[in-house]
Amino acid sequence: MSNYFNTLPLREKLNQLGVCDFMDSSEFLDGVSALKGKKLVIVGCGAQGLNQGLNLRDSGLDVSYTLRAAAIEGKRDSWKNATENNFNVGTYEELIPNADVVINLTPDKQHTAVVNAIMPLMKEGATLSYSHGFNIVEEGMQIRKDLTVIMVAPKCPGSEVRAEYVRGFGVPTLIAVHPENDPQGKGLAQAKAYAVGTGGHRAGVLKSSFVAEVKSDLMGEQTILCGLLQTGSILSFDKMVEKGIDAGYASKLVQYGVEVITEALKQGGITAMMDRLSNVAKVKAFEISEELKDIMRPLFQKHQDDIMSGEFSRIMMEDWAAGDKNLLAWRAETGETAFEKTPAGDVKITEQEYFDNYTLMVAFVRAGVELAFETMVQAGIKPESAYYESLHETPLIANTIARKKLFEMNRVISDTAEYGCYLFDQACKPLLADFMKKVDTDLVGKNFNEGKDGGVDNRTLIDVNEAIRSHEVEQIGATLRKAMTAMKAIKTA
Amino acid sequence: MKESFVSIENLDLKYQQKSVLTDLNWIINKGENYVLYGESGSGKTALAKIIAGLQNAIGDVKINFNAKSHLPEAVLFVESWYQFKNLEGVANFYYQQRYTSQQAKDTLTVHAELIHYGKEKGLHFDQVEPILEALNFSAFASSQLIELSSGEHKKLQLVKALWLKPQLLIIDQPYTGLDAASRKNLNVLLDEVSADGVQLLLICNDAELPTSINRFAEIVNEQIAISNSKAVQLVSNKKHTKEIPDFLKESPAFSSDNVVKMVNVNISYGEKQVLKNIKWEVKAGEKWLLQGHNGSGKSTLLSLINGDHPQSYANELYLFGNRRGSGESIWEIKQHIGLISPEFHWYFDANATVWQSIASGFYDTVGLFQQLPYTKSAQVDELTAYFGLTKSKNELLSTLPLGKQRLVLLARTIIKNPELLILDEPCQGLDQDQTEHFNHLVDELCSNGMTLIYVGHFESQLPTCLEKRILLEKGEVKVVESLNIEILS
Repeated sequence: MSNYFNTLPLREKLNQLGVCDFMDSSEFLDGVSALKGKKLVIVGCGAQGLNQGLNLRDSGLDVSYTLRAAAIEGKRDSWKNATENNFNVGTYEELIPNADVVINLTPDKQHTAVVNAIMPLMKEGATLSYSHGFNIVEEGMQIRKDLTVIMVAPKCPGSEVRAEYVRGFGVPTLIAVHPENDPQGKGLAQAKAYAVGTGGHRAGVLKSSFVAEVKSDLMGEQTILCGLLQTGSILSFDKMVEKGIDAGYASKLVQYGVEVITEALKQGGITAMMDRLSNVAKVKAFEISEELKDIMRPLFQKHQDDIMSGEFSRIMMEDWAAGDKNLLAWRAETGETAFEKTPAGDVKITEQEYFDNYTLMVAFVRAGVELAFETMVQAGIKPESAYYESLHETPLIANTIARKKLFEMNRVISDTAEYGCYLFDQACKPLLADFMKKVDTDLVGKNFNEGKDGGVDNRTLIDVNEAIRSHEVEQIGATLRKAMTAMKAIKTA
Repeated sequence: MKESFVSIENLDLKYQQKSVLTDLNWIINKGENYVLYGESGSGKTALAKIIAGLQNAIGDVKINFNAKSHLPEAVLFVESWYQFKNLEGVANFYYQQRYTSQQAKDTLTVHAELIHYGKEKGLHFDQVEPILEALNFSAFASSQLIELSSGEHKKLQLVKALWLKPQLLIIDQPYTGLDAASRKNLNVLLDEVSADGVQLLLICNDAELPTSINRFAEIVNEQIAISNSKAVQLVSNKKHTKEIPDFLKESPAFSSDNVVKMVNVNISYGEKQVLKNIKWEVKAGEKWLLQGHNGSGKSTLLSLINGDHPQSYANELYLFGNRRGSGESIWEIKQHIGLISPEFHWYFDANATVWQSIASGFYDTVGLFQQLPYTKSAQVDELTAYFGLTKSKNELLSTLPLGKQRLVLLARTIIKNPELLILDEPCQGLDQDQTEHFNHLVDELCSNGMTLIYVGHFESQLPTCLEKRILLEKGEVKVVESLNIEILS
């Protein structure tokens, strides 16, 4: 198998990277009818598998699960998840031949093995659905020509997909049809019906392509989403301890700080996040985030270049083949960091204090989101896709850090994200060494406004506000957020 | 010479520019066990929280702990309405989650939670076992916190409080959600800890109290009035004289004569069976009372009807004439139903305003996600006025007193004039006056022929329109009967 994207002529590369259409709600008036009465068989019953299946069934669709024989015999968790919720469960041989739509919700790393096992069993003209395009685009999996290949990717963890559905809402969802596999032209109608079945149509559906999804998803997760949050958190914690701030306080500020700060980002973009700072702090955060952008730009570009050329996937798959040697070593290292080992102190930190005492993280987030967005757009990815894969997902990842710090974040995210995070963190820390030497506790650990008179130059403030607000990520964000009307508050501890 | 234990001087509390407590003075002496009562919204809970140091106010609150006592120098406040969180402090749960089986556990078991609590407070585990026994809670040891009903959560909070034995124990609505037997046992346990030196302050309007209660305080005109016995409460004669909105006078559009039909319904989680061979039919227009002790399976039964239970797909269950799992969506089922329960209230959208909450009933969503057409919007206005909520229509639901929040959710359940109204302990946490008002409304609203399933305990007041009763015991149907007045008295 060879990298699918690299087999395309430039014209087709640009064409597929540029598929990006925020769909109007009138596109979903047909509801789930394109899948009504069809046999949907989900492969895998983890968090995404179970929760998507519960939603699809509650939308009136016929859902069952197929698992590897070993998982069924061993009564593994996936088997329990499915049977205890009264789903029909069977082996590949039992269920795949009758399936109209096979939904592959196994981890990325297993895709090649899973698809090779199920494809020969699939009936003529059936549909194969993915929630991530890595297998098709990067591994170059060839699917039988009679089969339709679609992607439906809810942009949230499985538990959220379910929680929002039963509240009567949904999570933003990306759909795509693989142009090499749409022999009957039914792919889009089925993908739309699937998005309705999981509730995604209520929160906004973006029509994308396998290529655009993979190239933007990889970029977002390894730079801003996981990479920078990891690097920024550890550097911040270490700086505070170095400067004599109580370790328990520092641990709590870092663990919950990103979540509180990015909640403002979720509701009103970078503008809202920066507006939570005082004028002096905002000007300072702007200046250092500009500096951070200059320092990190080459690294962001390198990540994007390696993703586009397939170099990233190549070395990651090498590590897979080597039994995840690099990844596991790094995962263990993360578990041993001082931040990870220091429990959050029993101190009350108010919501505003998270901004005032953690100005550095606000600067990190602005720099990371804007850089990731800019780099993606420069590489030919459309602004809407770039928005979802940078700004939109940042609060979701921050939420996992709040739950159980970085180790939990790395456990929850996909293997590809974790590997990318590993590469980024390795390179980014040395890059920021000089910068961090200049950072003092006014930026992290103590209230930035303390001992300052709060005055700013009118002109400077106007320029800073203008630069923040006129950035393209803010403009596209305002439009997309308006479509996703209901914003749920994340609780703070 | 009396020795003061809690002394409150010149306390002032305002809520949104309105005075709630003004220049309040109150001395609780050593050995005095109080019941605090007063009208809804008079500031009882706020006062208790101020004493416990959980809320700020202007004025002085001093607590004179006994340094020689073996009991912890602490004030513990047990809330009437308890929102649990998981260990990481995250509370983003949803209503239907307790019915779904997930191997990735998000919350601790009751046992693990108690071990955690005991460790934190330095308590011995063997001392909690008799309390669990007395409150009939031992069987829940292996249950996940998410699986507990609101009544069961309340019990868990009581268990912790009785185990800790703080020098001052304040309980807001101690009997909420408890069945008759548990209430009696709770009083015995409260007397025991009182004998051991714990001073009690209970906030409630109930008549059956622990014998150790020896003082009563009422909040009247923003101040404390103390007596040795409870003043006879005048049940207010505020009759609800407003006309029901016209759109609710019309009989609901019944889609079938058979609203619910269950044929041998069984539900279990792993080894634990919570419903056994349930047979039950509800016909259009019938008014049912559903009863059973805590944990008898009432909520699970109702969740099957409301489309909230994943296991309904494997049971023979007919809703509104259609077999469950024959291709309908849960939203099609919910269109026929208006439901409230303490758990539903628990998980309701904290960011919705009163108006939005009522309007969301049209779409059965938790929070409002779409624009309302003109006629529907006018109906929301009309119903808001009928419930006397117009003034607070733009306030956040979660900032209103509990009684008013329930009225809002009742309004939400009937806004679409549903075929079936399910009221699962709708008056839990409300005082006598509010309960009466609430049930009076239910009677009026149901007079248009709506089907009703109402869950309430014997001793609480019930709407008069109820005509049939089903009693569950340990997950089985124990009694199905016509209801006459004697059963209710």
